[in-house]
Amino acid sequence: MAAAGGGGGGGGRATTSGCGLKRRYSPHDKEEETMNQDQSSKEDWCGRLWNGMDLLKDVTENKHVLPTGLEGIDTLLGGGLRQGQLTEVTGPSSSGKTQVCLHSASHVAVKHMGVVMYLDTSNSFSPSRIATIIDGTNDLSDQRGFDLPHKERLKTMMRSIVCKSVFDIFGMFEVLHQLEVSLLNDKVKSGGRKICLLIVDSISSLLAPIIGGKYPQGRSMMISVAMILKKLAYKHNLSVLVTNHMVSAGNGAVKPALGESWKAVPHVRLVISRVHGSNICTATVLKHTLLASGRTAKFVVPS
Amino acid sequence: MAAEAGRDPRAWLAVDETAAAFLSRLLSSRPPITLPPPLHRSPLRPGNVVEIAGPSNSGKSHLLLMAAVQCILPKEWEGIYFGGLGRAVMYLDLDCRFDVLRLAQILRNRIAEGCRSAHLRNGDPENDGTKDEFQCSLENTLFSDCMQRFLYARCCNSPEFISALKTVKSQSRREVSSAGIYFVMIDSIGAFYWIDRGSQPARENKGRTLQSITESVVHELRKLLQLQPALVLVTKAPIYGEGTTTANDFNRVSSKYILADSTGLGYSRQEEERTLSNREYMPSIWQSFVTHRINLQVEEAEVPSVLESEVLPVHTSEWVQPYLKTKGKFSIMDDGVSLIQ
Repeated sequence: MAAAGGGGGGGGRATTSGCGLKRRYSPHDKEEETMNQDQSSKEDWCGRLWNGMDLLKDVTENKHVLPTGLEGIDTLLGGGLRQGQLTEVTGPSSSGKTQVCLHSASHVAVKHMGVVMYLDTSNSFSPSRIATIIDGTNDLSDQRGFDLPHKERLKTMMRSIVCKSVFDIFGMFEVLHQLEVSLLNDKVKSGGRKICLLIVDSISSLLAPIIGGKYPQGRSMMISVAMILKKLAYKHNLSVLVTNHMVSAGNGAVKPALGESWKAVPHVRLVISRVHGSNICTATVLKHTLLASGRTAKFVVPS
Repeated sequence: MAAEAGRDPRAWLAVDETAAAFLSRLLSSRPPITLPPPLHRSPLRPGNVVEIAGPSNSGKSHLLLMAAVQCILPKEWEGIYFGGLGRAVMYLDLDCRFDVLRLAQILRNRIAEGCRSAHLRNGDPENDGTKDEFQCSLENTLFSDCMQRFLYARCCNSPEFISALKTVKSQSRREVSSAGIYFVMIDSIGAFYWIDRGSQPARENKGRTLQSITESVVHELRKLLQLQPALVLVTKAPIYGEGTTTANDFNRVSSKYILADSTGLGYSRQEEERTLSNREYMPSIWQSFVTHRINLQVEEAEVPSVLESEVLPVHTSEWVQPYLKTKGKFSIMDDGVSLIQ
């Protein structure tokens, strides 16, 4: 069965030419031959067949866990945000979703785990808040640069957070395409810090306006964005964190926005809520690939 | 000439094989498969296509993983009986949500449980949970053997899916049939539904509409099943949520209920919404390809688990095709599924 994995690779050309050779010797199957020539010219099967041990090896070696810096959320998630997975944080407005995003970005910057790309759709990114968070955790472990003055350390940490503003879905496609191209080119040269976390604050504000109505193009774009994010996460070992808002579900209840088709997209879904006036938030797991769902935990957003 | 003409009709009436021979040939080449619960109620054979439908978080992917573990475990190994099939599984991940750590967890728990029960039966003195190195290395060898039998491919759009099916077919043409693929699993057949519906049927696209893509998928699966008889397990997530209706559906549904006096039918409001959300969205060529259907739901009531601190939600399963009156209830544990009642 290990031979199955060895057939792929090289853009799939090995496997398709294997199919093609067999097909050419049986010319009575004309339809398959034309379809196969079509396939090898378009080269749309760029994957390979994995077996279980390869998958396990890839996950344990390449896909690590990025802690968010908020203890309650880290215990719920089993350590933090996992690379290769898409995590969704949803909740009513002013429940702390943006704070979770800012804390995750700061924590990755402080621990020098890599570059963070923050896609901001509603102007909620606040550099002063990031600086406050970093200052709050700064006197702990920071191996390199302890001889630099405080301002210099802050600058190097904040340089590893790249923030881009995105205001509509087409801008989003553009940014993701550029990211994909730059990641593919960076594979050639080594060194430097690679991006390890991609945050989209409020992906629902980009998607919710387009998915209503009776034409399917809006939902088709939503699923396309989701597939691109998951492909980036898996291929380049990124962890993707997105936020979503709540809409009413009838009878006064609330449910996460973006509908039923979106429920099948994230690997991990969390709902957070905050009692008005305090900074203790409660998080509940709606869905997790590894751990049981329905567990809750409280966490504190330090102010 | 007359003799030849007279001989041929009699040749037509000659017996090919008796029914007993036919049945025994069928049972040996396509033996019945018993899947772990709750899929055990209906007898299944290679060549059947089972569709597991249910809303998000109802346990569909978990059932696929349970069936996969059942298939890749050997029947017996080093004297320990596991009761598996020892064949390969092909998992096509269209949702891209597969977590290999979950599969590894379930497999390790099953192996540990099998070894533990074997030791208990042999009456070994060291059954207090400590394992020696030899046993650990045995379990690791079995674990890696089983994981090598699990094949995985992920697809990001429908053309990739169709190419993956073609690759699987050409791979299985070369493999020895004894270690061949016995289960084919497709996670979430409706994953590209909106993308395919939203794509315009342009002439250079060769008409890649939802209809034509589903026809290609069914065509490839049929050819694969002809080459290598396998059991196909497919999960399907709903597209429309509970309580959402388009304007046309609302008129149609409400008029039907006004005529038929819905209170007399005994439907609760929750069930009405569920029947609306379970509406079939796959084209009819797919619906006629599927031979068995099971629906999963999550109930609101909860049952206390072994650990006092957690309550586990109750899932129900209902066989729609072939129709069984009783609904099964189960809940999902760390290493499998436990049936209730």
